[in-house]
Amino acid sequence: MGAEQAWVLAAIPAGVFLVLALFGRALPRGGDYLGVAAIASSFILFFVVLADFLDTPGKLGPVVNDIQWSKIGDTFDLRMGIYVDPITIVMFAVVVTVALMVNIFSIGYMKGEPRYHWFFAVLQLFAASMLMLVMADNLLLLYISWELVGVCSFLLIGFYWEKRSATEAAKKAFITTRIGDVGLLIGIILLWRAGGTFNIQELIHLAEEGHFSQPYLFTALAFIFIGCMGKSAQVPFHVWLPDAMEGPTPVSALIHAATMVVAGVYLTARLLPMFEVADGMLLTVTIVGLITALLTGFIALAQTDIKKVLAYSTVGQLGFMFIALGAGEPAVAMFHLMTHAFFKALLFLGAGSVIIGTHHNQEMDRLGGLWKKMPITGTTFLIGSLALAGLPPLAGFWSKDEIFVALEHKWGAWAVILLGISAVTTAFYTTRLFIRTFMGKPADTHVYEHTRETPPVMTGALVFLAFLAITSGFVVFHEVGKALGFPGGITEFIFLPHHGPHEYELKWGFAAASLAMAVVGIFSAAWMYWGNDLRRATALANWQPGLYDMLRRKFYFDELYQGMIDRGVLGFSYIVSWFDRYVVNDTGVDGSAQITGFTGGVLKYLQTGRVPNYAMAVALGVIGLALAGLVVRG
Amino acid sequence: MATEVIWWIFALGIIALSAGVVFSRSVIHSAIFLIGSLAGVGVMFVILTVEFLALTQFLIYGGAVTVLVLLALMLTRADPSGRAEKVNGPQAPFALLAGIGVAAVLLVAALSTEWAGNTESPTNIAIEAISQRLFEDFGLPFILASVLLLVALVGAIIVARQEEGE
Amino acid sequence: MVPLENYLALSAIVFALGVYGVLARRNAVMILMSVELMLNAVNINFVAFAAYLDPGRIVGAIFAVFIITVAAAEVGLALAIVIRLFRNRATANVDEAATMKW
Repeated sequence: MGAEQAWVLAAIPAGVFLVLALFGRALPRGGDYLGVAAIASSFILFFVVLADFLDTPGKLGPVVNDIQWSKIGDTFDLRMGIYVDPITIVMFAVVVTVALMVNIFSIGYMKGEPRYHWFFAVLQLFAASMLMLVMADNLLLLYISWELVGVCSFLLIGFYWEKRSATEAAKKAFITTRIGDVGLLIGIILLWRAGGTFNIQELIHLAEEGHFSQPYLFTALAFIFIGCMGKSAQVPFHVWLPDAMEGPTPVSALIHAATMVVAGVYLTARLLPMFEVADGMLLTVTIVGLITALLTGFIALAQTDIKKVLAYSTVGQLGFMFIALGAGEPAVAMFHLMTHAFFKALLFLGAGSVIIGTHHNQEMDRLGGLWKKMPITGTTFLIGSLALAGLPPLAGFWSKDEIFVALEHKWGAWAVILLGISAVTTAFYTTRLFIRTFMGKPADTHVYEHTRETPPVMTGALVFLAFLAITSGFVVFHEVGKALGFPGGITEFIFLPHHGPHEYELKWGFAAASLAMAVVGIFSAAWMYWGNDLRRATALANWQPGLYDMLRRKFYFDELYQGMIDRGVLGFSYIVSWFDRYVVNDTGVDGSAQITGFTGGVLKYLQTGRVPNYAMAVALGVIGLALAGLVVRG
Repeated sequence: MATEVIWWIFALGIIALSAGVVFSRSVIHSAIFLIGSLAGVGVMFVILTVEFLALTQFLIYGGAVTVLVLLALMLTRADPSGRAEKVNGPQAPFALLAGIGVAAVLLVAALSTEWAGNTESPTNIAIEAISQRLFEDFGLPFILASVLLLVALVGAIIVARQEEGE
Repeated sequence: MVPLENYLALSAIVFALGVYGVLARRNAVMILMSVELMLNAVNINFVAFAAYLDPGRIVGAIFAVFIITVAAAEVGLALAIVIRLFRNRATANVDEAATMKW
């Protein structure tokens, strides 16, 4: 099997999805082993694909394999196929690794839950859709996978549909991303209209040749970017992601690390050559990323739910990725995407482990001091936290450092300073999260007493991910890449054609600044929360209650949207319902029925039942027709 | 010349008898007028030199149809005493107008049209020609017509027969 | 000789009389008789056309044969229906069988 057959990676989980969805209930243990086996075989086959890809003659040229989809006349020839290039390879690696870990972890986490088989079935479909998404060579196939991913997230977030908050969250996620999806669809249609093709590479080629006019290209890409913002939860579409925590925690890990949210980053990276051609598009991407990173960094400071903190952290880190893309560095974005995927999956699964270990407690106000009770979870969680905070030599440090370098190179110091603030808040809330959960004295002794370490099937996944969270950052180095069989570090693997590969070099100034930001954040958080002592934090909150309330309530985004919906949508729907009731229903429907009834009531007397009358009508009709004929003939 | 005289006598006769059919107050009289009218049409066929059709006309109409009509009249006499019943419906005046209208339309159409061909004198239609057309070119319709007659015969019997318990 | 138009005029008048009869009469049998008049008027037309305008193909004459056939079938069936009507309703007047209405 070669890289041309990479579609098999998606086909296996998709097939298993069908099996599990149809027969999972009847299988022993809900068929979870089938799910794990499917994703594991994809994991193994990924390395086959990778080896073949690295051996491809012509070194790292993209692999294309397409078939005719439908052909209408001579003008509309729709082809579908797969396109495997370094970006796809990195996405493959992230998706299969995280999906495999999540599947294994879920065996422990979901034990005894209702609809166990259905959970595993949808996980497979989720992974399959995401794999299909990242290897689609045309926007239409990509859009289909994109929507499939959305549906899967809807199903999984609303997995506990008996809970009202879960269905609400699922709805919110689906509708919010849908708004973006409409933008994506409009963008795809605009590009197709002017370019006449859905093929991504052809479209990029056309854009680089100046086939599209500047305003047109900007409009189309802006619409596509709205889709990316919706999927990747960028401000102002970020509101769905924290609520998506209603789903089972492994799902949160999957959504946040490997699938769903990174789809937007992936699509932007994939289309980045076009974004570069359109004036102002990169700046737009950068600003959206900066706003997101800053706002969510501050919101996360005041959240007390473990998963909520992690959720806002994810939104912020996605902002970092968009910033890297806005700086025109797909390699850096993909690098951060990968390292983030590993440590964020680790953190989420760690949170899941805490939730199971403490018998469903995820409020920091009731936790604390768990490290002693849950040593493996605590240690791996610490590794993930430090990676997220950006402490060397963990993975997060290298990718964040690269983002700073790229940002400064492209947009200058102002952007770096803004991002630096966000990096400090990141380190701060991460440390706060860790201290309040795992260190100091327990906030609730009852919870503490009953806490147990989770089974090996869960901690095993944590350890594996912790290993990746430590090491995955090193792929930036030329020597590490070479040793793994790549042409070099990640920046020599992924690059824009006209920029060419460049070797990574450590910029000491940036590294020192980056480290300083992490240290400032960590130490200030440690000073404030050490020993799970909230006196200093409470004093700070009381000093500026308005500010604290604003952060705790997430800058009032939900209230704002709710108000907009209440006033705008409900007001408008009131008018519509009035119109429907009185104009459409009473006047239109009832009116036409009344007119019909009245006319019939009058005209029914024509039906005398007397045959001579009918015969008379026939005769008069004949005379009339004959006269008409004579008149026409002249 | 003689033909024309004969034609006019019979044409006026047909019209008069037909008017008798539709205006007579007695159904029996109407039926008798109908026999005459149909026989007149048969004579018209003779004048048109289609003797075969004339014979058919006499046989079927003069013989079969009229007898059938008379039988039906006798079977459906509402009042055997022969008390005068209104024979025309309420829309009779309008019927007169409609009839005049139809006549006007037909006459205008027939007389104002330029007919292509010899309109002065009829050509003799030999019985051999009719048989040839009927049995060769119109063979299938001819057979179908016989089937139609059979169906009508059976249908009429079933509709009209006295059912048990009636 | 008699021109074609004479036949056409005769046919038109007889046909119109038939129409009047159908529309004016109450008795179903009389209506049937009027229908026979109309059919015969049509036959005159057909045969006249055949003899004057179409002596080679004489389709009109053939049609007249079929019309006579169909008319015979029609009379037979219609009279059966009239007898049926009379048996059920003790009348042969069509305007008294008027239940098929609003």
